[in-house]
Amino acid sequence: MTDVTDVTETETGTDSGGAARSGRDLSSAKDMIVCEGVSKWYGDFQALEGVSATIKEQEVVVVLGPSGSGKSTWIRCINRLEEHQEGLIVVDGVELSNDLRNIEKVRSEVGMVFQQFNLFPHLKVRDNVSLAPIWVRKKSKAEAEEQAQALLELVGIPEQADKFPGQLSGGQQQRVAIARALAMEPKIMLFDEPTSALDPEMIKEVLDVMKNLALSGMTMMVVTHEMGFAKEVADRIIFMEEGQIVEVGTPEHFFTNPTEDRTKLFLSQILA
Amino acid sequence: MSEFAGAGAEIGSFYPMPRPDASPPVEEHLPPREWLKKNLFSNVFNSALTVAAGLLIIVMLRGLLGFIFNPLRQWNATAVNLRLLMTHAYPADQYLRVWFSVAAFLILTGLSIAVWRAGSRVPVPDVGKRVTALGVFVTLSALLAPFSGSARLSWLAVAVFLLASGLSVSRTSKDRSVSSLSLLVGVCGLAALSLWVIPYGHHSFVSDRTPKILAEPGTVDLTTKLPWTIMLLIAVAAYGVGLLLRDRIPAKVARTSLVLAWILTPILLLFLVLRDPDFDMGHVLSTDIPIFLVFAVLGSALLFWLTNPETGEVGRIVAVTVLFLAFGSFLMPMRMVIRIFMLLLAIFSLAGPTFSGDRRTRHNYVAIWTGTAVFVSWLITAINTPSTAPVPGQFFLGGFSMTLMVAFFTLLVSFPLGVMLALARTSNMPIFRLLATWFIEFVRGVPLITILIFFSVMVPLFLPDGMDLSEVAAVTIGYALFASAYLAENVRGGIQSVTRGQHEAAEAVGMTTSQKTVFIVLPQALRVAIPPLVGQVIGTFKETSLLIIIGLFDLLFVAKAIIPNQTAFMGSTRENLMVISLIYWVISYSMSKASMRIEKRVGLGEQ
Repeated sequence: MTDVTDVTETETGTDSGGAARSGRDLSSAKDMIVCEGVSKWYGDFQALEGVSATIKEQEVVVVLGPSGSGKSTWIRCINRLEEHQEGLIVVDGVELSNDLRNIEKVRSEVGMVFQQFNLFPHLKVRDNVSLAPIWVRKKSKAEAEEQAQALLELVGIPEQADKFPGQLSGGQQQRVAIARALAMEPKIMLFDEPTSALDPEMIKEVLDVMKNLALSGMTMMVVTHEMGFAKEVADRIIFMEEGQIVEVGTPEHFFTNPTEDRTKLFLSQILA
Repeated sequence: MSEFAGAGAEIGSFYPMPRPDASPPVEEHLPPREWLKKNLFSNVFNSALTVAAGLLIIVMLRGLLGFIFNPLRQWNATAVNLRLLMTHAYPADQYLRVWFSVAAFLILTGLSIAVWRAGSRVPVPDVGKRVTALGVFVTLSALLAPFSGSARLSWLAVAVFLLASGLSVSRTSKDRSVSSLSLLVGVCGLAALSLWVIPYGHHSFVSDRTPKILAEPGTVDLTTKLPWTIMLLIAVAAYGVGLLLRDRIPAKVARTSLVLAWILTPILLLFLVLRDPDFDMGHVLSTDIPIFLVFAVLGSALLFWLTNPETGEVGRIVAVTVLFLAFGSFLMPMRMVIRIFMLLLAIFSLAGPTFSGDRRTRHNYVAIWTGTAVFVSWLITAINTPSTAPVPGQFFLGGFSMTLMVAFFTLLVSFPLGVMLALARTSNMPIFRLLATWFIEFVRGVPLITILIFFSVMVPLFLPDGMDLSEVAAVTIGYALFASAYLAENVRGGIQSVTRGQHEAAEAVGMTTSQKTVFIVLPQALRVAIPPLVGQVIGTFKETSLLIIIGLFDLLFVAKAIIPNQTAFMGSTRENLMVISLIYWVISYSMSKASMRIEKRVGLGEQ
């Protein structure tokens, strides 16, 4: 994360520079997330039908798909907010099973950002960020608060540290949520529709932070509807529909030359 | 963004934007006649309602005043028996202890008001309006009450004075304001001054040999007016000290220690000051202190090790072992103190891994354990030591002090118990959930009176040999169990209002279930539960009056059964009941007011 500089000054281009990242060769990188035949049911309804995918270290994967396609369910299975019933999920060499210690280990290495921010409303912004490092990572209070301040600077809102989340705009809240997840020094970051609950003028500030994070080499899995972000930042795009992975490919391939009919239909609806 | 800026300018021309220096429109201030017309006589139906309600108020006021100022009323009954109402049979020569306790509470109040910055600025005209309203009320009362001619005139004179001063004050500029605290002190000061000046009558109860009651003209007894004046001065001085300390101590430290003081002071006052225990130093030195030292030292070492993050799984096994040892201690003959200490240590051990951290965190944890051990050790010794206060009857306090005491201890016990029950009922573990649900549903299905009678009559029969529980303690435990079941339901409401997203966010950063509960769920749940909890605190305070059924000498019992049986005040029940309802009302209303303040204040943080 050393090469992340001033976030607010970074420009978000819409269509330029997209190919710059998709050309990266990550085939020799370590596997961070391995899913094999992951299935999940809610009662009789099958939300995931045998999802298999491997995500490499430093890779940025964007998951696209119509609503109800199982994107969020899948990403939430990866840190066990949802329990999968069949198949195998291995995160950084640790298999997710019912063993509580494994779950805690995975969770402290996987950061998650939610659609609704889910900041702790009774704690100041600084305490939101430093709480978990103090009690989960067992850092000293001073150290954790120093780190919190540095992270808030990284996401561009150091001056809001003494406010309560309710006093912040949506975009600022989501940036605090990113700082909170980063405070645990995770190896993987999961984003579950991070901009869907934001007003249009605040989406950019959050996407900028995410882009810088991607540039710094973080392994990221992003569920989003922001096509610009997907085009520009993603190494790979996974398209899902009805609980299945329909198509996987680089942004170039996905947006210009999709093979599956369902992908074409989706793109025509989105980009129309 | 440039094209949007252009669009904004266009919209601006259609909808005139407010000038940046625009002030809000001045609030319309209606003259009294217009106001009456708008609010009370806007149409025929409204006018009829106003007239009917006005007539109803007049009739009720007339009835009430007729009751109060009836020459047959024996208001002396409460004036003479104030000491009986407040402390029942507490010995008069030990009354310095009571005043000491009152002073301790007033000091805490003064400090708290300063530290929490209670009180606000009130515009002077508003004060004038209040005084005017009071003047109107006194005029109305003077006209309605069954007074003789001269009495009516003097009341009317008071009313005219109030009206005149109120109206003149309300004409002053709106910019001038006065602090509500200085107003309060002013009113209390005037009340204290009136004790020295106005001849309320000199009432005293002389209980030498043949009890007789003295009611002579003149100002009140010195034993009343002197202490109350000193109390007022102490409260003001404490506020001053609080102001000085406020800027020198970090707010968090000051507030935490004050909350702790509010919890510990009643216990210390009761067992150390009021009860005046006759400590057997030989026993204390040979048994109590050694037991305390063993647990303090070994417990500290154990907890310091347990809160080390590197301890890991072995720590949990050790903690569970301590818990089993604690349960096992109840199967073997040994001192109750040791069992209690074992249980406490088990709880601290189990919580240890949750609060593990760096060296400083661990030191704090051990310090909390040592402090708890000191307090528990002292409390158990004090409870087991006989009192030196020579008092007839089974308990040394009665009247209002007993009401307060039972309410305090009930809340003190039921609060943690209720929170634990609520957590158990919402937990994922079926055994806890089942036990908590059964307990809550059982207790809620049984009337409070049944529980109180059960605990006063039956529980002493079940106790093991050699263990003695006073009736007051037994009943308080029963009442606390009852209150905790209701409290648990209120807290459960709060817990369920914490969204799923909060749980997920806490889990996603790797918190354990207990950390999530302590740091995320409970703070939010209790905040949501403040209004019902305050309602319950008020209810608990008022329902202590059910103690009368068991025959404990609480405020209601003194007022209903003791004073009306004195030869001088035969049948003065109604007067006494009116006075104690006033006492109950004042306390409940101030609690309600305080809770509104708290709600407002906690609400602020969330916006």
